[in-house]
Amino acid sequence: MSSDPTEATAAMDCAELTRTLDAYLDRELAPRDEMEAADHLAACEDCRALADAQRRLRVALRARLRAAMGPGSDAGQAPDALRQRLHLALGREKKPFLRRVLSPVSFAALAACATGAVIVLASHGGTDSLVREAVRKHTRDLPLEVTASASGPESVASWFAGKLDFNAAPPHFSGGDVRLVGARLSNIQDHPAAYVRYDLPRGHLGLFIVEDADRRFGEVGRAVQIGPSSVRLINERGFNVAVWRRNEIVYSLVSDLDENDLARLVKRTQELDR
Amino acid sequence: MFDLEKNDLTRDEFERLAMKHVDPLYSAALRLTKNERDAEDLVQDTFLRAYRFFDKFERGTNIKAWLFKILTNTFINRYRRSVKERGIVEGSERDAVHERFISREATEYAANPEQFFFDRLLSDDVLRAVDSLPIDFRMVVILADLQEFSYKEIAEILDVPVGTVMSRLYRGRRLLQKALASYAIVSGVLRAPVDGEPIDLEAFRRHRGKTA
Repeated sequence: MSSDPTEATAAMDCAELTRTLDAYLDRELAPRDEMEAADHLAACEDCRALADAQRRLRVALRARLRAAMGPGSDAGQAPDALRQRLHLALGREKKPFLRRVLSPVSFAALAACATGAVIVLASHGGTDSLVREAVRKHTRDLPLEVTASASGPESVASWFAGKLDFNAAPPHFSGGDVRLVGARLSNIQDHPAAYVRYDLPRGHLGLFIVEDADRRFGEVGRAVQIGPSSVRLINERGFNVAVWRRNEIVYSLVSDLDENDLARLVKRTQELDR
Repeated sequence: MFDLEKNDLTRDEFERLAMKHVDPLYSAALRLTKNERDAEDLVQDTFLRAYRFFDKFERGTNIKAWLFKILTNTFINRYRRSVKERGIVEGSERDAVHERFISREATEYAANPEQFFFDRLLSDDVLRAVDSLPIDFRMVVILADLQEFSYKEIAEILDVPVGTVMSRLYRGRRLLQKALASYAIVSGVLRAPVDGEPIDLEAFRRHRGKTA
């Protein structure tokens, strides 16, 4: 699309802006439409006032809903008796068909499948605070502050610039099946971190990027050589996590992939970013 | 023995994943059924169904959205809506198109300083206002503005096109604002815009003569 503002303004008039305002405020417009809406808002004082009022109203409405029936409210909390009842009911239930049980893939199998690219360097038990906190934060599924659907993948990649005092550019994954969803600011152990979410055809990824010049985070899990880097693979609460370091930056990739697929995925970014 | 172990593992895994979302599920169930007993039954049915189909759950997809989808389906199957209510809902959705052209007054009204009447409303009033929405609008507002699902996720949960999510959400939010304004006036938090006469937004628009 053209970046000529007059053309963009012509492309979205006040009626159209009014019609798409909800989706715009929900950050659900396609990048092109969002840009057109933003151009129109920049040029039109009436619509800007409307959008500001609508945004304030949205914030107030959501706050009231959360207070009335969100976490911590009476109407937002399952009674303890219900939890107990669910636990008992599940215990009585016949088992579902056997499904693949989440268990760490044996390392021999991993090594065999990874076509020799993966070599064990060291193995340590346990997990560290970095991994524990990354998994916990990832599963909380916090709302993203910038999304690729609204702003385009490029602006997600550059969104952290100026917000963190280290370069938190997310790595690229080769192949088209890893879709960048969006990002938010996060923190690991009170240190600011970048969080980037990706979608896979079958799964989600959460990537935490944090500066660690002091090497606070221990070397736990299985260390394997993937491409140019030593990557640690850890299973934490059912999630397979890959942790690697580039100079002073540590990347932790939380996934629901099995270890095998995760190692292959990490390999694709390592090769590209080398 | 081995099977038993696996079974326990699966159940533990399911319970661990699903129990994290029991509060939002119960909260939604309560707004759907409008009473605690039915809400608890609905959540239990949802959990048991989800557990039975746990092998169908694609690991890595959003389990919260999946559970909400099962909750919604279970509710529709068990407490099937009457034909009458369905008719009303469809009529309201048609109105949504018209609603868009008169929304500016509503926004101006809400944007005046008295907008902050929201903050002083009692939670009970908020719940009653939510409950007053037709069920399709109630659900979509809860999913979007409380649970903060994306349009796409809501479309999958409710099994409707994204366009329908957008129109229901648009209409649902306006209906909720209107209901909240009514409660605010009734409870004296908000002064009616016309001398002493308690009116809702619809009446307010009529008063201004800009409905058409």
